[in-house]
Amino acid sequence: MSPLVVTLWLLNVTLDTVGQLAFKAAAGDPRAGDGLARWKYMAARPWIWIGIVSYVAEFLVWIAFLSLVDLSEGVLLGSINIVVIMIAGRILFREKLTPLRVTGILLVTAGVAMVGIAGGG
Amino acid sequence: MKRFYFFGFTILVLFDTIVQLSFKYAGNHAFPPEANWAWIVRVFGHPWIYFAVVGYVGNFFTWMTLLKHAPIGPAFAVTHLEVVSVMLFSAWLFQEPLTWPRVLGATTIVAGIICLAFAESGAHPEHDAPTEAKGALGVAAGD
Repeated sequence: MSPLVVTLWLLNVTLDTVGQLAFKAAAGDPRAGDGLARWKYMAARPWIWIGIVSYVAEFLVWIAFLSLVDLSEGVLLGSINIVVIMIAGRILFREKLTPLRVTGILLVTAGVAMVGIAGGG
Repeated sequence: MKRFYFFGFTILVLFDTIVQLSFKYAGNHAFPPEANWAWIVRVFGHPWIYFAVVGYVGNFFTWMTLLKHAPIGPAFAVTHLEVVSVMLFSAWLFQEPLTWPRVLGATTIVAGIICLAFAESGAHPEHDAPTEAKGALGVAAGD
């Protein structure tokens, strides 16, 4: 993989993680209330906007990334997002990492590594 | 009900696959990628990007309909199984090679996703979505 491809891949993971966590922070705020008030509360705070901007940027980064690698390779490498978001959720929101989750995380990471190391195919 | 799940999840994976194939076509048409406005204009200047958007909207409504009834764990797993369908369609449409590292990598990733799906079923009540219920772009986004 070329440095540009690696950079786009890392950018994609970062933007996806930031976006997901920002939406989680926006949606999970218990002070937000219900209905229209909830949306107003969220719109007045940065989280939902950080999420939207991240997703728009990610959308473009992902298209650029896919135009440089094989699609099959691209979606396989993109699976790392699942892992990074789970680990970030563990750190920021104290979500549980059960043994089964850790096994899943290790397997997905191993699979991505196989594809990445063999890369360029 | 079994039939409802079967068709629902098949449609979901199909939408995910259409989204990724359209992204690839859009990227190819706009090649080479550049960090400028001209590239963005090229991306939106071809119909493919709009197929991706339609696929994404279809995906969203299918996902929401399924989640009303399906437990989150298996649903989570199925949304990531598009790696397999995308790989098969890429081999057919883009003549991408099905190399051993890809096949083994995909198998390992799917095994991991199945573990995460079971972990998700156990760790959350059914109405409580996991942090990563759905990737931004259907991937892990990704996917």
